[in-house]
Amino acid sequence: MEVLSAMSATVILGVIGSDAHAVGITILEQALSTAGFEVVNLGVQSSQQEFISAAQAHEGDAVLVSSLYGHAEQDCRGFHEAIEEADIDPITYIGGNLAVGQDDFEETRDCFREMGFDRVFDSETKPTEAIAALKADMNIAESEAERARLTT
Amino acid sequence: MLRDRRLSGEDLSRIDERIRSDWSVEDIDFEEAIAYHESLPASKEFASVLEDADRPLLQPRAGVPRLDDQIALLGHLEDAGRADLLPTTIDSYTRDNEYEKAQQGLEEARESGEDTLNGFPAVNHGVEGCRELIEALDTPIEVRHGTPDARLLAAVTFAGGFQSFEGGPVSYNIPYTKGHDLAETIEHWQYVDRLAGAYTERGVTINREPFGPLTGTLVPPAIAIAVGLVEGMLAATQGVRSITLGYGQVGNLVQDIAALRALKSLGEEYLPNEATVTTVFHEWMGGFPPDEARANGVIALGAATAAIAEPDKVITKSPQEFGGVPTKEANAAGLRTTKQLIDMMREQDINLDGVEREREFIEESTRSLMDTILQLGDEDVARGVVEAFDTGKIDVPFAPSDSAESAVLPARDDDGRVRILQFGNLALDPDLKDVHTDRLDRRARAENRDRSFQMVADDVDAISEGRLIGRPGGEGA
Repeated sequence: MEVLSAMSATVILGVIGSDAHAVGITILEQALSTAGFEVVNLGVQSSQQEFISAAQAHEGDAVLVSSLYGHAEQDCRGFHEAIEEADIDPITYIGGNLAVGQDDFEETRDCFREMGFDRVFDSETKPTEAIAALKADMNIAESEAERARLTT
Repeated sequence: MLRDRRLSGEDLSRIDERIRSDWSVEDIDFEEAIAYHESLPASKEFASVLEDADRPLLQPRAGVPRLDDQIALLGHLEDAGRADLLPTTIDSYTRDNEYEKAQQGLEEARESGEDTLNGFPAVNHGVEGCRELIEALDTPIEVRHGTPDARLLAAVTFAGGFQSFEGGPVSYNIPYTKGHDLAETIEHWQYVDRLAGAYTERGVTINREPFGPLTGTLVPPAIAIAVGLVEGMLAATQGVRSITLGYGQVGNLVQDIAALRALKSLGEEYLPNEATVTTVFHEWMGGFPPDEARANGVIALGAATAAIAEPDKVITKSPQEFGGVPTKEANAAGLRTTKQLIDMMREQDINLDGVEREREFIEESTRSLMDTILQLGDEDVARGVVEAFDTGKIDVPFAPSDSAESAVLPARDDDGRVRILQFGNLALDPDLKDVHTDRLDRRARAENRDRSFQMVADDVDAISEGRLIGRPGGEGA
């Protein structure tokens, strides 16, 4: 686990679209920083382009999208295509109340997985779960990077 | 330069023309709109229904994209929920003045039959659509939203027959948006309030309601009340004569009752006599338990608080709050749960120790903030509040807006009352600050840990996890 805390992974964090729910990302930002991540918090009402630009500018390893107001599907349409066009490949997570109304979360998860998100979380998720997931997902990236470095 | 001064008739029509170029809406004829309001029955006069009531009136939140569905939804809340007042909640694209996106969402909703917007896009429905809604229901309806620049929304909905309009330049900026400049937002709301004042002068009273809960999460009462007073004063300057000041439940019974009483007395103290001041209590606006039975417990505590404090109005929550926009049945259930509690408790004479002491503390704290605001503005509340937010002397926890420092952080004390952990530059008298610090120290000792951000994070989750205070050890501890 030493390796993980030493690698300063950069996480881009923000609330997408017209959504202004700030409490969750405020807490997540604190938790991620405490866990040793470099955090770039875009704040609320961030556009797809702002996420992508920040991921490029800060060499973001992961992009964490938050949405609480139910418009996530419309807001995230074309997001992964735009990421690909920008020629970057961050891990992408989305979490929150992702659909308007009383949805079946498994269906919602499938929908956002199909859109290209690596992981989809409901609004009950604790910061520790997201951090554990990031560490697990980045460990793979880390070992590949290590391997790449060793073979060149 | 920004001043707390009444806009002239010329200002009003100049702005009127400008905002209508934002999105093509039909011409609005003020005289015709007055005549339309006059044609409505007295039972749809929002201000008189609210101000003449002899018990707390209940109002839910509700908004869906399509007109027919909105009529059906409100009809259900009227019949099955026995709502005294109705809402129409506006979608988030309209709140952002993104009328094109709202139109797209509305068309998708019409094609798919699904609710692809989180509210009713009133500007897109236009004056005629609004009037159809007003005419289809028996109860007065308020526009509820979260729009920093609500000028076009106000022009359309006032002409469309709505007589109550939530929000204000601080309460619909600081908690709702990132980039809007506060001074500019105040100018925009001077138009909204002046328009409401113009209707009022013609005998059509438009009720205005500052949004009390702000960020909805552990907001210290004095901060919420000060913002409401500022917005009430700004509205009164523009000729608004029916003002409903708001406050959101924090969950500590004594503190909530004390805050509602302080809200009423300070409202009467700070607002001019020509304005009628009423109060509204919002049931818990923070995170809800992911379990309808437990959510009903949260709602019931809010109802019990309202039964004792007797605000003029209660905004209810539904047991499905956790999952986002509720079904109409769940929404009506939240109304009925609240009504049952209030009707059982209201006639009991209940006295709680400590309410008066807490009320005095809240009033002193609010006065401390108001003194600073008025001083900074040289007695001009508009300039003062801009300056106060700019310097962090007034501040709101968890505020997404660049116009607020957002340095103030709240946490609960050992009794579950919301106190301030980090003040930033908040302009509270030092002896008042000491009370907060002492109370939080006492909790820290009881929990054998330091005062820290972890307390804040624990408290934010506590109610959804089944308790009031975020004690160490978390769920079930």
